[in-house]
Amino acid sequence: MKNIVIAGYCRSPFTPATKGLLARVRPDDLAAQVVKGLIQKTGVNPADIEDLILGCAFPEGEQGMNLARILVYLAELPLSVAGMTLNRFCGSSMQAIHIAAGAIQMNAGEVFICAGVESMSRIPMGGFNMLPNPVLAKNYPQAYMGMGETAENLAAQYHIERVTQEAFAVNSQQKTYVAQQKGLFNDEIIPIKAADGSIIQVDGCLRPESTAQSLAQLPTAFLANGSVTAATSSPLTDGAAAVLVCSEAYADAHGLNKIARIKAIAVSACAPEIMGIGPVGATHKALLRAGLHVQDLDIVELNEAFAAQSLAVLHDLPIAQDKVNLDGGAIALGHPLGATGARITGKAACLLQRENKQFALATQCIGGGQGIATILEAIS
Amino acid sequence: MSIQKVAVIGAGVMGAGIAAQCANAGLGVVLLDIVPKDPAVGRNSLVEAALAKLLKADPPAFMHPKAARLITIGNIEDHLELLRDVDWVIEAVLEDLAIKQALYQKLLTVCGDDTLISSNTSTIPLKLLTQNLPDSFKQRFMITHFFNPPRYMRLLELVQSTVTRQDLVAAVTHFADVQLGKGCVCCHDTPGFIANRIGTFWMQTAMLNAVALNLSVEQADAAMSLLGIPKTGIFGLLDLVGLDLIPHILGSFKQLLPATDALHAITDITPIMQKMLNEGYTGRKGKGGFYRLQTTAGQRIKEAINLQTGDYRVSEKVSLPALPTRQDDLRTWLSQDTPINRYVWQVLSKTLAYSASLIPEIADDYVAIDRAMRLGYNWQHGPFELLDLIGVAWFTAQLMTEDRTVPALLSQNKPIYQITARNLTALDLSGQYQPIVRAPGMLLLSDIKRAKPAVLHNASASLWDIGDGVACLEFHSKMNTLDRDSLLLIRQSIEKVSSDFKALVIYNDADNFSAGANLTLLVTAIHQRDWLAVEELIRQGQQTYAALKYAPFPVVGAPSGLALGGGCEVLLHCDAIQAHAELYMGLVEVGVGLVPGWGGCKEYLRRWLSFSKRPGGAMPAIAQVFETIGMAKVSKSAAEAKELLFLAASDGISMNKERLLADAKTKALALVSNYHAQEPAVFQLPGESAKAAMALAIHNFHLAGKISAYDVEISLSLADVLSGGICDITLPLTETTLLNLELQAFVHLVKQAGTVARLEHLLATGKPLRN
Repeated sequence: MKNIVIAGYCRSPFTPATKGLLARVRPDDLAAQVVKGLIQKTGVNPADIEDLILGCAFPEGEQGMNLARILVYLAELPLSVAGMTLNRFCGSSMQAIHIAAGAIQMNAGEVFICAGVESMSRIPMGGFNMLPNPVLAKNYPQAYMGMGETAENLAAQYHIERVTQEAFAVNSQQKTYVAQQKGLFNDEIIPIKAADGSIIQVDGCLRPESTAQSLAQLPTAFLANGSVTAATSSPLTDGAAAVLVCSEAYADAHGLNKIARIKAIAVSACAPEIMGIGPVGATHKALLRAGLHVQDLDIVELNEAFAAQSLAVLHDLPIAQDKVNLDGGAIALGHPLGATGARITGKAACLLQRENKQFALATQCIGGGQGIATILEAIS
Repeated sequence: MSIQKVAVIGAGVMGAGIAAQCANAGLGVVLLDIVPKDPAVGRNSLVEAALAKLLKADPPAFMHPKAARLITIGNIEDHLELLRDVDWVIEAVLEDLAIKQALYQKLLTVCGDDTLISSNTSTIPLKLLTQNLPDSFKQRFMITHFFNPPRYMRLLELVQSTVTRQDLVAAVTHFADVQLGKGCVCCHDTPGFIANRIGTFWMQTAMLNAVALNLSVEQADAAMSLLGIPKTGIFGLLDLVGLDLIPHILGSFKQLLPATDALHAITDITPIMQKMLNEGYTGRKGKGGFYRLQTTAGQRIKEAINLQTGDYRVSEKVSLPALPTRQDDLRTWLSQDTPINRYVWQVLSKTLAYSASLIPEIADDYVAIDRAMRLGYNWQHGPFELLDLIGVAWFTAQLMTEDRTVPALLSQNKPIYQITARNLTALDLSGQYQPIVRAPGMLLLSDIKRAKPAVLHNASASLWDIGDGVACLEFHSKMNTLDRDSLLLIRQSIEKVSSDFKALVIYNDADNFSAGANLTLLVTAIHQRDWLAVEELIRQGQQTYAALKYAPFPVVGAPSGLALGGGCEVLLHCDAIQAHAELYMGLVEVGVGLVPGWGGCKEYLRRWLSFSKRPGGAMPAIAQVFETIGMAKVSKSAAEAKELLFLAASDGISMNKERLLADAKTKALALVSNYHAQEPAVFQLPGESAKAAMALAIHNFHLAGKISAYDVEISLSLADVLSGGICDITLPLTETTLLNLELQAFVHLVKQAGTVARLEHLLATGKPLRN
């Protein structure tokens, strides 16, 4: 087996859909700038890139037309770089990393750009033309169940009180805010130039003023007598992220910064009505493949689709609080569906390096009832 | 001289509201106020706050939030330069002569020679405002007095001096009429001008007499509305104006009017009003006034004050039979000795006598006063129109019987208005009748109706010849609800217009174009379980509206006010619409448990499907229509109706309701040459997949508590229609298929208990039921 490494990570700022500064930026222009930024940051020779693999949850409209190949042109990469767009909803860009790793193992390329993008301002969740199979929708409605309802299901099944969810959300807001204040995102953010020439470089979803008291006032968002509110859900977000994946031999030969090794990967599936529990199955599989146990993990990036969902996962995967989402999570930072997988995997790799730890996990849940996980190992 | 750019100085309620109305007309507006004394707040903070308040105003000040972008804000210290290229500066600052004059001095330094400067003062005479100012200022200065709220109140009182430049007066009159939709009335430079002088006299009289006659506030309000005064009556209006303002208004009149004026005798604050003021009751803007809303156990209960004791009690609904229409009966009614009849007579006679005593002091003629009261106080009839209803001679005789002074002007005992050669004329001060001339571009159906008989007529609708080969279809049932007679007259009109006219305009001059289909008919059929009759009613409406759409001549709808349900559907079948800016249009059938059945779903869906500015395939259009009909969305203006695609981009908007008919006629004539009825639409719809998508949305809305259990049922029926039913997206559907789906959904819903409950509740209470 070859060693495969993450040799670069960057992202755009994440800003709230419709209201945020990225709302007026086309997703292709947004992702192209992040890809360009990654090339510059890593110093990789673009001619060596085999493929640009792009995750996107609603690849239509401005995100359509095999956007990955469009990005090759927009980012002015050599025409020899191929491009594929893939869709595993929220797991899309982590899946891009998995595909690259698999290809490298097969000697089907040495270096890959694994990116993700979502403009939730410009392409609605569900797409422009949601046309579910009417027979399935009738006989198995959970196939199309709204994400908020699945979070309510987990809250009920795991007896997660509203107040517990709100404490989790406040904690997420505080960690993210502290990280922003300390400048811990500066290294990963690529400033984005908008059509009007303005530069966007600050994450815009954060609500550091949130308190347990203020959140308690909000109405529920999905179920009249439920417990999940807008504040305990990740916000609709615009953003893009990218990771450079290559063989360790290539990185050594070209003097790239090896951030972390990819130790194991997995996807799993579960009942769609509790899709949020997906990370549990995927993590168990990946740990088994890595020959590790939960307690071996030092750093965990668990995507916070919903507070209730994250808490349910942490109930089944006993991981100490101080290992999870050190710089905050999606409830505060935002969750641009297709971009999140690249963000949390790149982030986990960087944290491993920064904190000088051995093993990291990046994992997330996926609509429709799936989980995806990546285990990383320190280079030293 | 034409007005392209306006500035308003003073961002209080009136100034900000005037700026908003100018922006509604699509004009650039500069809005300035002073720099706050507190250096900690921003220099523009007063205007910023005013703009924020405007955006939240209820009723809305803007016809569309986008209009707010036309307002440039600033302060009078840093941004006077902005006034350099402005054509009209409206001063709306504090009612303080020194402050106003200081501002005028500043304006003199920046404004161009042709810039009109006007004050929105309601109390300070023009001669005082211009005192000690140079002639160059006096020549371009006048008073332009708007009414609150400026978007909705249609009166603009103009006061000019002998030296005011006439080209500026003409420019502002034309601008206010065409662009701002206001009716201008020239007033003399006297306190309170016309409307507030008579209005204040009437309010005080109505209040004092109600107390003296021991009426309840509800009785007094109901009695006043018999006269065609808005249903706020007297006490509801006082609450709306704000009780705290009344002492200021009365004090100001007391100070400015000569001691001989009849208003002097009634300027004291009544004990009941004083008690309320002492207890902090300021009216609707505060904790209440003569009426208040009390929340007990989660229920909001309307209470009214007892005028004798000052205690509040639960408000009672008072409904009085309408006044007799025959003049003799009306006179008998006014002479009857019951508290209500005496009250109406006392208030009416005093107000009429006072009004007649004010000519020529406050206005040149009767017509100006009537117009001011109609437009400024929303009275259905002006005082002299009311006087004609009872008869001048009878009125003066009554005054003499009661030993009251007969105003000199009325001593000739001639009617004020008279129809001469089918034209409306009015008495002038020399006792001659002069024709009432409408401004160019103003066509009033009431004038046409006076001039010649209807071409076609039944109880619910009429067809009129409005000249130049154009006919006008008028609805005139109660609230202009549409029934079998209305539909019949539409079909007869199609035949008539085909042979005798070139084009048809659908218009009426009532407050509301149409409140929708007459539900009583439907409920009767439902109670009798006569489903065939229901089906027949739907078919008849569908066929009538389709005939209108495919008639061999252009049809222009010209709505104002409410255009709901069936009233909205008839407009959706027109070739074009010329709308009054105040248009409240929507398909509201779900409110009574139904879906639009007279082609409304089909036509509204066609509009969205053919709208090119939305990305994606059929679903975005379907989703938009589903949301708009499913939530019974009603436009809050014609501008919003355009955004909702109830109006097409090419449809016109008239700011002034009195210009609507003429504008619609022009639009219809423009369509005449080479007219071809539009081609029937062909639909390609996703069928059950689309229904599944809408069902998911319905499910999520219901879970989140946003829609009720029965809303789910209605929404699913609506989804049946909008999805195209059982079909495939590759196969075209005809309009008939869509109409049949509407019919099926409609007939299905009328058989449900939930729909029957909604219909019955609406008819019984006038309010929608959410079951």
